[in-house]
Amino acid sequence: MASSRPLIFGEYFETGRPETASPFLTPTSRHLGHNLPLKSALTSAFLLIFSFCLIQFTNASDIGYFTLILVYFFAGIPSLIDSVEDLANMQINIDVLMTLAAFGSVLIGSPLEGALLLVLFAISGAMEDAVETKAKSALSHLHSLRPTRAFVVEDEGHIVERAVQDITVGTHIRVKSGEVVPLDGTVIKGASAVNLVHLTGENLPVTKTVGDAVPAGGQNLEGSLTLSVTHTSADSTLARIIQLVTQAQEARPKLQRWFDALSKRYATTIITLALSFTLLLPLVLGIPFFGTDGSLYRSLAFLIAASPCALIIAIPIAYLSAVSICAKRGILLKGGVVLDSLARCHAMAMDKTGTLTTGQLRCTTITPLNTLQYSPEQALAAAQAMELHTVHPIAEAIDRHAKKQKITPFPLDHFKTVPGYGIQADIHVDEDSVPAQMGNLAFITRSVDAETKQLLTTTCRAIEEQGELLAILKLGDDLFIFRFQDTLRPGIKETIQTLKQHNDLQIIMLTGDHPSNARAIAKAIGIDDYYANLK
Amino acid sequence: MCAKDHFEGKGALEHVAQMKAKGMLSEADIHGTEVPGPWPAALDAAKETAIVLLLFQTLFSLVQASSWVTFTAALTFSFGWILWKMGRSAWLGWARLERLHRLLAQEKWEIEHNRPQEREELAVLYRAKGFEGELLEDVLDVLMADQERLLRVMVEEEMGLSLQKQEHPLKQGLFAALGSLISALICLIFLPWSLLVGAILVVALSSALSAHQLNNHVIPAIVWNVGLLAVAYGAVFFMTRYALHG
Repeated sequence: MASSRPLIFGEYFETGRPETASPFLTPTSRHLGHNLPLKSALTSAFLLIFSFCLIQFTNASDIGYFTLILVYFFAGIPSLIDSVEDLANMQINIDVLMTLAAFGSVLIGSPLEGALLLVLFAISGAMEDAVETKAKSALSHLHSLRPTRAFVVEDEGHIVERAVQDITVGTHIRVKSGEVVPLDGTVIKGASAVNLVHLTGENLPVTKTVGDAVPAGGQNLEGSLTLSVTHTSADSTLARIIQLVTQAQEARPKLQRWFDALSKRYATTIITLALSFTLLLPLVLGIPFFGTDGSLYRSLAFLIAASPCALIIAIPIAYLSAVSICAKRGILLKGGVVLDSLARCHAMAMDKTGTLTTGQLRCTTITPLNTLQYSPEQALAAAQAMELHTVHPIAEAIDRHAKKQKITPFPLDHFKTVPGYGIQADIHVDEDSVPAQMGNLAFITRSVDAETKQLLTTTCRAIEEQGELLAILKLGDDLFIFRFQDTLRPGIKETIQTLKQHNDLQIIMLTGDHPSNARAIAKAIGIDDYYANLK
Repeated sequence: MCAKDHFEGKGALEHVAQMKAKGMLSEADIHGTEVPGPWPAALDAAKETAIVLLLFQTLFSLVQASSWVTFTAALTFSFGWILWKMGRSAWLGWARLERLHRLLAQEKWEIEHNRPQEREELAVLYRAKGFEGELLEDVLDVLMADQERLLRVMVEEEMGLSLQKQEHPLKQGLFAALGSLISALICLIFLPWSLLVGAILVVALSSALSAHQLNNHVIPAIVWNVGLLAVAYGAVFFMTRYALHG
C-alpha cells in the first residue's frame, strides 16, 4: 500500500505546516529553518550584550547603536507584527504591552532597556515554540499509522483501490495478508490473526473469523479478510484514538493557561493606566506633555517598568528545562501539560504490555502431553522449522528459545498456513517425513481423538489459569505444549514499590489481555488493582 | 460547494489552465518585484529608490574631497547595501514560499471537499495526454485512491509547480549577500584607479554567468548589460556636471 516515493505532504500538514517540512524546499536546505525563532532570539541576545559593551565602555558607541538596531530588527519585528495584527483584531494582550513598552523606550532615550524587553520576550516565545515542536513531532508518527487507501471489492468481484474517505458504510473491502486494516468492519469472509498492538497494547494477535469485528489500525498477519465496513474513516477507532491523543498533546500547561487569562486583563489595565497618566497628569499636576518631566515620558517609563518580562520568560524556561532534563534521563514528555498532571496525580494507570512488560514473549517450558516418540528438543527443532516461515510473536519467541538452546531446525516440506488457527508441514526427522501441526487448541483438537482432546483441553485451561500463553505442537502422534510468558521489565517491581510507598501513589494496571494473565503479572509486580479484558 | 462555484462559472479545462498559470506565476523568481504587475513593480521600485537615496544622502553629508574619506564612505555604503540586498532576497524567498504554501493548502482543501470536481480536473489533464475510456477511468481511480499521490499530481501537473526544488530563503539571502560582497570588494579594489572599470568587470562577469546558467547567448548578454551600465553612468555623470556647473 505504501507509495513508491517518500511522503512529502504528510509530515508537512500533520505537524502544523512548519517551514522545516515544506514540500517546496530542497531536503538539504530545510534544516536551515530549524529552531529559527530560538536562533534569532539568541543572536539578538548576543548582539544586545555586544551593543551594551560598546555603548557603555568604549568610544565606538555608533557601532553599538547600529548593533542595537539589529537587535530591534531580529527580536522586535516578529513581536511588532503580532501586536499590529492583534490590534487590528481589536485585541489587547501581553504582546501589545511588551511591544509598546519596547518601542516606546526608544522615544524616551532608553533603547537598551527596550531591547532587553524584546530579547527576553523573543527568548520566551522561542522556548514555547520549542516545547510545542517536540509535542507536534510525536503526532506525525501517530498519523503515519493511519491507512489512506483500501481495496474495495466491487459487485462483480473486481478489486479497486480507493481512498478511505471515499468508502461508505456497508462497502466490502479486502484486507490482504500483511496489510493494516484501513477501516472498522465486520468479517464476512476469510479468517486470520490480527495484531492489535497499536490499539490495545497487546502484542499477541487475535484470531478473527466470520462475524468478528475488526478495528481500523490492526495489522492483518497471515490470512486474507473481506470486511463489511461499519464506520467511515472519520469515525474509525484509530481516528478517534488519534484525535484524543492530539487533543491531549495540544493542551497548554495549566500555568500557561492561567498566565494567558491573567495577561490579557493585566495588559489592558496597564495600557489604560499609561494612557490615563499621559492625558490626566498634565491636568492634575500641571506638568507638560513632552520632555523628560512630561507625562508622556513618565507614562512610557511606567509602561516599561510594568512589563512582566520575568514572568513571561520564567514559565516556558521552567517547562522546557523540565522536559529537557527528563529527556536526558530517558523520560520522554510529550509537552508541558504532562508535568502539571504528574505534579497533582494521586493514582497512576499503566498499560501492561509494553509498559510494565517488554511485550516480548518468552518461551518458558515445553510440556510433553503424551510423548511416545520424540523428545522436547526434537519438538523444539520441528517448531522452529515451521515458525521460521511465519511472522508472529510466538514464532519469534520460539526462534529465540531454540537459538538459546542451540537447536538446529529440521528441514521441512509442504509448509502451509491455516489463517487464524496455525501452521502445518512435513518435518524431516532423522530420515522420516513426519506430519506436524502447530497452533491453537481449536486447530489441534480437530485431529485428535476424544480422550486426548479432553486431556488437552483440561491441561490448556490449567496453564491459562496460571496466566501463561500457549501454543500446541502435534508432531506425528506426539503432543507438546509450548508455554509463553510476557517478560517483565527489569527493575519494574522495585519501581512500582517506590511509587506506591515513597510517592503515595495508587497504581492500577490496565490490559486487554485475559484476566488470568493479568492477575499473574499484577501479582508478580505487586500491583493490587488491575482491569483486564478491556476493549 | 457545487461544481459551478468550484470552477467559478468556467469549464474544467479553463479552470485547469487558469490554475496552471496561477501556480507558475507564484513560483516565478522575479527579482525586483514580489508578484509581476504594475502596482507591485511601482511599489518595489519606490522602495529601492528610497533606500538608495537615503544612503546616498547620508553619504553625501559625510563625504569630503580626500580619497580616504571617499573610500570609507563607499565602504560603509556597501555594508548597508549588502544588508539590504541580503534581507530583501531572503524576504522575497519567504514571500514566494508563503504563496506556494497557500496554494498547496488550498489545493488540499479542494481535494478533501470537492472530490468529484477534482476527478473532473484530473480527467481533463489526462485526456489531454491521450488517455481515454476505460484506461482513463483506471488512471483516475488509481490517482484518486491516494491523497498524497493526488496532491502531488495536482501540484505538479495542474499548477505546474516543482517540489523540493526551492532553496531556503536564508540560503538565498546569504547568496545575495555573497554576491553583493564580492561585487563591492571588486569595486573597492578598483576605487583608487577607476571604480567604473571595476563595475564594468562585475557587470560583465555576472551577465556572462547568468546567461550561461540560463543557456542564453553569453556575448549579447555581456554587451547589452555593459551598454546599459554605460548609459546609466553617462546620464548621472553628464547630467550632474551640467546641473552643477551649468
